[in-house]
Amino acid sequence: MAARLQRYPTAPPGVALAARAAAIVLALLTASALLALSGLNPIALGQQVIKSTFGSRFGLEDVGLLVTPLIFTGLSVAVALSIGAWNIGAEGQFYAGAFATAGVGLYLHAPAPLMLPLMFAAGALGGAVWILVPTLARAYVSVSELITTLLLNFVALLLVYWVATGPWLDPGGHALGTTARIKYEVPSFWGDVHWGFPIAIGLTIVVALALRYTVWGYEVRISGANPNAAIYAGMPSRARLIVVMLMSGAIAGLSGFFEVAGTVHRLQGGISNNFGYLGIMVAVLARGSSLGVLAGAALMAVILNSGIILQTKGLNVSTVLAITGLILFYTAIGDELAHYRLIWPKRAEA
Amino acid sequence: MDPVTAILQTSILAGGVLALAALGETLAELVGVVNLGVEGLMALGAVAGVATVVATHNPYLGFLAALAVGLVVGMGFATATVLIRANQVLCGLALTLLGSGMAATLGKRYSGTPSPAVFGPVPIPLLSDLPILGKALFSQNLLVYLIYLVLPILMHLVLFRTRLGLNMRSVGENPAAADAAGVNVARIRFWGVSLGAALAAGAGGYLTLAFVPSWSEGVVAGRGWIAVSLVIFAGYRPINAVLAALLFGLITSLGFVGQARNWPVAPAILSMLPYLGTIAFIILPVLASERLRRWMAAPAALSVPYFRDQR
Repeated sequence: MAARLQRYPTAPPGVALAARAAAIVLALLTASALLALSGLNPIALGQQVIKSTFGSRFGLEDVGLLVTPLIFTGLSVAVALSIGAWNIGAEGQFYAGAFATAGVGLYLHAPAPLMLPLMFAAGALGGAVWILVPTLARAYVSVSELITTLLLNFVALLLVYWVATGPWLDPGGHALGTTARIKYEVPSFWGDVHWGFPIAIGLTIVVALALRYTVWGYEVRISGANPNAAIYAGMPSRARLIVVMLMSGAIAGLSGFFEVAGTVHRLQGGISNNFGYLGIMVAVLARGSSLGVLAGAALMAVILNSGIILQTKGLNVSTVLAITGLILFYTAIGDELAHYRLIWPKRAEA
Repeated sequence: MDPVTAILQTSILAGGVLALAALGETLAELVGVVNLGVEGLMALGAVAGVATVVATHNPYLGFLAALAVGLVVGMGFATATVLIRANQVLCGLALTLLGSGMAATLGKRYSGTPSPAVFGPVPIPLLSDLPILGKALFSQNLLVYLIYLVLPILMHLVLFRTRLGLNMRSVGENPAAADAAGVNVARIRFWGVSLGAALAAGAGGYLTLAFVPSWSEGVVAGRGWIAVSLVIFAGYRPINAVLAALLFGLITSLGFVGQARNWPVAPAILSMLPYLGTIAFIILPVLASERLRRWMAAPAALSVPYFRDQR
């Protein structure tokens, strides 16, 4: 009467969720163990993080500022995933959006009330343009978008670094390696948190509803789940793919818009904080659910904020990236293990 | 040194990083596993190399340390992707984040200081005295000869001229058939991926011990991703992978030359060339002809986990 593991083609949602929680806990435990080995006290660090994050309004505002770009980049990756495309280039589209926003904000002279909408449009367009070539290559000649989108990240990074230290360098010379301050700002919503936060949540809900309840969304999801079936059913899969990928780029570009116009007010080299890469994490944690993006972004914002709080303790953004990788690694394993169930086969009656 | 020799010499040196990493990825992909963690593995290898050299002042030990770290981490990756059969894309991205992040955290103390001992040029007598080509081809460090000659030829012979190689390729093309023929799919995939990861980390060691040569955060700078793309561009063949890497070494060295000679182009634009070139090189051949497209085709079972009961 031996128990054995049986693999099922789909993982039950409850088990999958539990596997995810276990993955996150396990990753944090592993990270704590590594920190303890390097002579830091993980419990004290944890207490400091909780106190600094949730103990004050400032802490919560910081998380709010970080969660906004993460919702956008996470939604960007998640939208592309809904049609089966891996947009690993949200980082580059973020930079492209930030670049376009800053360009319009600094050098275009239009009536003041028009400026923010123009910058918003420029940010979205910048992100969409940045994913255009990978989109067409995927849609028409099936070149994997995974690598093409990723490689463009480095190009965007170099572009922004170059303009911020060269042609667009602050003529006032007040700061090193950044453009002048951009006058037009996204208004405040709650303390330091700007209107990008509610807009990010609103956009996530709109996208979720569109994917869930419209014919368009149905076609997108079927094209992602089973491309051959979609084509057989006469769905315009290629058109859907192109629009969804461009949307994905535009959303990541908006992340750049809000970071420039809402938070930093300048364009500078390291402006992305790895938001694009963390967005992949957010989308994976969300597991295809748009509302999951909000939860995933909140979690990643707290983790990212912890890294910033602990900078004085010798940790840094790279440590956060490593911990993120650990979570992703355990999540991938957990996702697979969630397909298995222990079963007790009855002995065959003679 | 005349400019042609200088460009060739830098191209070969720069291409070596990509060549070694691409050879590793070729190995993994031919057995059917896509490893997107090359970037992270290279970062770990780069730090391991520098850390070992700082402690021992021996570049050979440094390079071995990079290989060893890659092998161990690769075995972890293979455990997840081959034995547990978790999603290869997710595990690869995780490895890139984990490797890059860990390397940056651990490597902070070595940041910016030149590696205390590096691989110096080993001129081959007579050949290195040849005009123009002599200095470029035959006065390189030992690793260059290993990467450009020994390893690709060895890999080519094993993969395309031995029973083991046939088994490896069949596991990448049709694991069910290989399984039915008595080939141990999991074992071949496990070691293919692990050894491939060792080479990727070795490429990181080469980077900090023979090419740059120092550690700083971001020193890998997307080379891992370029290496992954080169494998596609090279049609999953080791000798082609090395030639493709050399081509990209050339593109990289054009950037250096442009900076050194004050070409009227911003250095940042020149630095974009390898990335833009990679994108062009994986899209353009596909546009060119159907035959080329088929020649470049990936192993049929690439990135598909093998479950014996779901044939």
